[in-house]
This record gives sequence, C-alpha cells and structure tokens, in this order.
Amino acid sequence: MHNLGFALDGAWRVLLAGLVLGAGLPVLFALGIRSLAWGAGEASVDATGVTPGAKRPLGTAVGYLLFAVVVIGVLLGLTFIVASGFGNKLSFENIYPTIVPK
Amino acid sequence: MILALVVMTALAFDFTNGFHDTANAMATSIATKALRPKTAVALSGVLNLIGAFLSVEVALTVTNAVVKIQDKTGAPKAELLADRGSGLLLIVLAGLVGGIVWNLLTWLVGLPSSSSHALFGGLIGATVAGLGWAGVNWNGDGSKLDGVVGKVLLPAVLSPVIAALVASFGTWLIFKITKGISARYTDKGFKWGQIGSASLVSLAHGTNDAQKTMGVITLALIASGDWSDTKNIPLWVKVSCAVAIAAGTYLGGWRIIRTLGKGLTDISPPQGTAAQSGAAAVILASSQLGFALSTTHVATGSVLGSGLGRPGARVRWGVAGRMVAAWLITLPAAGLIGAVMWWIGHSIGGLAGAIVVFLLLVAASVAMWLRSRGEQIDHDNVNDDWDSPPATTPADPAVKEAVRVVAAN
Repeated sequence: MHNLGFALDGAWRVLLAGLVLGAGLPVLFALGIRSLAWGAGEASVDATGVTPGAKRPLGTAVGYLLFAVVVIGVLLGLTFIVASGFGNKLSFENIYPTIVPK
Repeated sequence: MILALVVMTALAFDFTNGFHDTANAMATSIATKALRPKTAVALSGVLNLIGAFLSVEVALTVTNAVVKIQDKTGAPKAELLADRGSGLLLIVLAGLVGGIVWNLLTWLVGLPSSSSHALFGGLIGATVAGLGWAGVNWNGDGSKLDGVVGKVLLPAVLSPVIAALVASFGTWLIFKITKGISARYTDKGFKWGQIGSASLVSLAHGTNDAQKTMGVITLALIASGDWSDTKNIPLWVKVSCAVAIAAGTYLGGWRIIRTLGKGLTDISPPQGTAAQSGAAAVILASSQLGFALSTTHVATGSVLGSGLGRPGARVRWGVAGRMVAAWLITLPAAGLIGAVMWWIGHSIGGLAGAIVVFLLLVAASVAMWLRSRGEQIDHDNVNDDWDSPPATTPADPAVKEAVRVVAAN
C-alpha cells in the first residue's frame, strides 16, 4: 500500500497550500472590500434625507493595499502555470519564489 | 488510414474534454451572473487556447500512468509496432472511443465527471482486452505515486474532500468578514474576485488537458512511423489540439454548467469567489507537488464546500450523490466501452475494424446529440431555478422525482 502513503503525504501538503492560498487570498480580498466600505463612510438616512458619511482615506488605502496583495498572489499563480508549461518550476527555497528548471 | 481515424478521434475527445469542463471554471460565474453566459464561455475558450500553447513540455508519457504501451522515453513498446503500429493504434482508438462515449453520456444527464478518468478508463479497458490484465500499470513500482491506484483512484477520493475543506473554510471566513457591509460593495468586489479566480482555473485547464491529447496523438504518430522525435510534438498537432479544446469550451456544456452552478447549491458572489479561488489554489498546488488531480473533482468539491461554509445555505445532497456515483462508475464504464470497441475492431480486423469502431462512435454521438434536443439546455435557460415545478405533476413521489431530474437535465 505504498501508494496510500504517498497519496496521504501529498494530500496534506495540498490541503495546507490550498488553505493558505485558496482561503487566505479570498479572505484578504474580503478584508479589502470591508476596508473600502469603511473608507467610503457610512451614510445615514433620516427624515431630512440621505446624508453621506465622512470619508476615511485610511480605509480606502488599506483596501487597495489588500487588493494589491491578492493581485500578487494571482500573478504568482500565473507565473507558476507559465513556468511549468515551459518545463520550469517555482522554487520557494529563498522564501521569495524563483524560477528554476525542473 | 487507421492513423487518420485515431487523430480525428483524439481531436474529438479533446473537443468533448473542452465542453465537459467549461463548467469547472465558469459555472459559478454564470450562476451568480458575474459574467453573461456567452461571455463566460468565450473567456474560458480563449484562456484554454492560450493555456494549450503555453505548455511546451512534452506530455508524451501520459499513458504510462495507467497502461504499459510505451517505455519510459515515450517510445511505443516494440512488440506493438508490427504492421505500422496497428496493434497500438487500435488500443488507442478503442480507448479514445470509450472516453468520448462516456463524456457524452455524462453530459447528456448533466453530470460533471472527469474527462481524464474517462480517457484513462477507456485506455485501461482497451489494454486489458488487447494485452491482458498485466498490460495495465495497476499499482506502480513502489518508488512514487503511480499506477491506476496512485494516479487515478486515490487522488479522486482525496481531491474533492481537500477542495471542499478549503472552499468551505474560505466561504465561512468571507461571510464572517463581510457581514453587515452593503451589497453595493460586496457584489461588485466579489464579481471581480470570481472572474479572476475562474480565469486562473481555465488557464490551468488548458495547459493540463490539451497536453494529454497532444501526447496521445504524438504517440500514435510515432507508432505508425510518421514521427520519430520523442522530445517534441509536431506543430500541427499542437495547433489542432488547442483549437479543438478551445472550440469545445466555447460551445459550453450547458447541462453540466447548470448542474454545477444551480443544482448543487445556490451560489452567491462571495461563495463563487471562495469556491473558484479554492479550486485554483488546490489545482496549482497539486501540480506543483506532482499530485495529479482532476479539475472536475476539485471544482465540484469546492462548489460543494462553498455551500457547506455559508451559514444557512442548502446543499442538495441528492445531486451530490448522483455526481459521486457517476465518478465511481466512470473508470469501469469507459473501460468497458473501450474493451468492447477493441474487441469489435480486433474481430473484424485491420482497417475495416478501425472503420467500424469509428462509425460506431459517430452513430453513438449522433444518437446522444439527437436525444439532447429533447430537453435543450443552452445559454438562455442555464440559470433557471433548479426546483421549478415540472409542467405535469404526477401523484407518485418517485415519478415526480424522476421528472424533476429529467427536467433539470
């Protein structure tokens, strides 16, 4: 049953990477949306009509910063697809990813 | 001549692979109306086309995972090369026919089953028929994850579970974080999140799946003596495979898109983002780690997970059960068709046998296509409510259930 061992070994790595990237990036994205909404201020509605809330530039900035992190994550995914297509792979030995031949 | 039939059949398989798997990338975006149906399939088609060209790596040894008709360099086994490789060509042809017929059948009933499993199943069946049980690489040689068990069965069991865990966790967190924010921000934001993650899945699909057909066609060319380079793939093979899978994707397997996007659970944009990002991450991580997964299993698992993770969402377990059942029988069913096709082709023998097998494929395909005209599903009605009441309401609940299933397909 050597295959079962190899499969389980691969499976938990995939699960870990999947959780970090597949759940982590959408969570950053959601935080970015929350931050943007906060940055735009809360509108209040009363008898006099709709009053736009005060803008919070910090929220807008943090929101776009978080989006940028997500975009970098997506670019990493793209790099991986292209690199492996050309017979290379990504190495994470230096923490930051580098392209090395397979 | 047999070679021409094999090439045409392989391209036909590539085409069915395309429309069968459109749903994996685009079902959620179509269901949440992040993209209009036609736009979604067009985007996915273009990304598959690009993806197919992006991979210059040679996937010539693709059949080695499950059957023993090639050696390690990708060259066909010498004993199969007699008479311009007709022995090997018949196995490949019968295997491809098994894969196509199973792909069309599952499409007809709207179930997302793995195209790679269908191809592998067909090849295994044809190999067992042609070379006996020993011709199949059941369990690998113990040095790495290999063989039918290691490359096909175990990943099929594990991948939907992994994808479901990732997507349900992501969905749950997203709903926690965005609670109380006006839909104005969430809907627009997650619309883009969905399109981006779905595009990644499409691109990854193009690089992986088109390559398999390129490998099979090149193997056939080598067997018949029309190509000898095991390091490169002829340009025309690459172009025709890329176009076939992109055209298939653009056609769109609307029945499967409907099942995955509307049938399994009702998807909102945040769920779609979580499901598609989870799928993309799991697919890319597994190919980085050399753990071969089926895009279909991952996508289905992550859509299911997004239904589990959203507070108060409902998962239609009946639909999920039918999918799992389809996955379980994909390998043996495609294998059986492959084996029967090999047997028919071999009994008649030679070119006539190959032609008969090909004509049987054409007949089966036309029959299923005509059958599909009955209850058509296309880009106009793909998003209709899953539980819409059937036109006629039979009294018997079992009959009612059957009608709903048919109506849904």
